[in-house]
Amino acid sequence: MTDDKDVLRDVWFGRIPTCFTLYQDEITEREAEPYYLLLPRISYLTLVTDKVKKHFQKVMRQEDVTEIWFEYEGTPLKWHFPIGLLFDLHASNTALPWNITVHFKNFPEKDLLHCPSKDVIEAHFMACVKEADALKHKSQVINEMQKKDHKQLWMGLQNDKFDQFWAINRKLMEYPPEDSGFRYIPFRIYQVTTERPFIQKLFRPVAANGQLNTLGDLLKEVCPSAVTPEVDGEKKNQVMVHGIEPLLETPVQWLSEHMSYPDNFLHISIIPQPTD
Amino acid sequence: QSLSLSISPAQTAAWRKQIFQQLSERTKRELENFRHYEQAIEQSVWVKTGTL
Repeated sequence: MTDDKDVLRDVWFGRIPTCFTLYQDEITEREAEPYYLLLPRISYLTLVTDKVKKHFQKVMRQEDVTEIWFEYEGTPLKWHFPIGLLFDLHASNTALPWNITVHFKNFPEKDLLHCPSKDVIEAHFMACVKEADALKHKSQVINEMQKKDHKQLWMGLQNDKFDQFWAINRKLMEYPPEDSGFRYIPFRIYQVTTERPFIQKLFRPVAANGQLNTLGDLLKEVCPSAVTPEVDGEKKNQVMVHGIEPLLETPVQWLSEHMSYPDNFLHISIIPQPTD
Repeated sequence: QSLSLSISPAQTAAWRKQIFQQLSERTKRELENFRHYEQAIEQSVWVKTGTL
């Protein structure tokens, strides 16, 4: 029988098979072969693509190697979104491997943040963890931790060390026994069909009547268009987290504890239901 | 009577069972045919060498 704790491992060890191809207009001295890699769903593109950069650098002139950026079917991929979220949002229901195009020229300033070093990723990651704890525990848990604990969270993610990460992260997932969950659920809802980057509002895990709030309750309140009544008995949208579609009856507190990304946020993608 | 007793826990667990099942399907879909791909993060193994 599967245990709830096994979900944490499944989430952590999720991988996306990816094929990186250099953009046709990049200048090379030799032909650039594609590069194949298993990307961790929970990590960040610029954190796990050193090998990709090295691979393409080898066939380029040194002066043409500038800041690397990635694109999928014309969409620049935001490195500060977790990889699994990028895939669910832009490439769900497509054939694997995921085909990502690698660029060095023409950095899309209006779409992407610069990522000059891994320190920038660490700062972004820790800012998210702190924001999540502000919502869950009024920042009490993260503020009581030591600097070395913060570092352990980051190093656990960076080096793909599940036990190292969860030894600390479990404290961020606790709540007082007299409560039925966190103060508020840290979540972000993404849709490719809108200009808005994401929806984030205050939402409690337990309703005023004491009932546990579900994923369906959350969507009805903050993004009703995602769960509009079915047309001709067919769903209009898919609600995805980590490549799966949890039932709308799933309690958000359980989802937050078991299916948050390492930044402690639930990143939920709403994508149009494929027609075929 | 036993049926009515068993309905409630089964219903409560439906969302949980569905998550377990979908995660295992996801692993099949995203990993089964691609296990020969290189991992992005190496799981480094430290080997301590020294003289006796």
